[in-house]
Amino acid sequence: MSGFVALRAAYAVTWVIALLYVRYLVVRYRAVSKEMKDLKRSA
Amino acid sequence: MKSLSIAFIVFTLALLGFSTYQGLFVAPTEQTMGDVQRIFYYHVPSAWVAGVCFFVNFLASIAYLWKRSLNADALAAASAEVGVVFCTIVLITGPIWARPVWGIWWTWDARLTTTLVLWLIYVSYLMLRRFAAGGQTQVLAAALGIFGFVDVPIVYMSIRWFRTQHPSPVMGGGENSGLDPTMLHAFMWNLLAFTCVGIVLVATRYRLQQLENAVEAEHAQLALEGRAR
Repeated sequence: MSGFVALRAAYAVTWVIALLYVRYLVVRYRAVSKEMKDLKRSA
Repeated sequence: MKSLSIAFIVFTLALLGFSTYQGLFVAPTEQTMGDVQRIFYYHVPSAWVAGVCFFVNFLASIAYLWKRSLNADALAAASAEVGVVFCTIVLITGPIWARPVWGIWWTWDARLTTTLVLWLIYVSYLMLRRFAAGGQTQVLAAALGIFGFVDVPIVYMSIRWFRTQHPSPVMGGGENSGLDPTMLHAFMWNLLAFTCVGIVLVATRYRLQQLENAVEAEHAQLALEGRAR
């Protein structure tokens, strides 16, 4: 693996991991918010 | 408060773009390694954010055991999770750098091994929080957070105590250590940007944990009301 390919791979991996984690947070946040709304409605 | 949060997120994204530009295009190319050295501008700030997150987890775990505060527990959970994300980045970008420079992806060097152990400790911390049953999960997690943090100074000192494969300290490593001023400039921008990203992620995860705690409390309340009827 050449240095330039390694550099691009490392930067890409960093962004992919960070973006996947942000997506996970957003999906989980939406699900918990919806559950909270449903609970309040049923109460 | 919400507009302040959005402003900080926008500031962080702009800073991240600027610092990446500094690392890729402004900092000079290192003489022996070439372009691959620029991985340093993402690798080291990621390690810094992971270390800070585990330190926050350590303090929040102590605070939880002392005060039994759910907010302290939420902060401990948030910081451990974000710490694991950044530690994962460190463990992947390191071998990507090592392959063209050392000719190998991995070696059981003191720094690499202690970092892998650190990652395993906090992954087990997250698994404990996720899968342990019973009312003592938060106490056990806090205890693991406190004892697990012992590995953080060991990771930091490993390249000072042992002279093995990993590069010796670039900064604060004695007379012959240090960075070219332009490299240092790019590095500091990336350190600041990654710190801001860490703050945004921990704050978001902390808010999510608080919301989950509120849902759990609401479930308990509804169950009690159902039983009373």
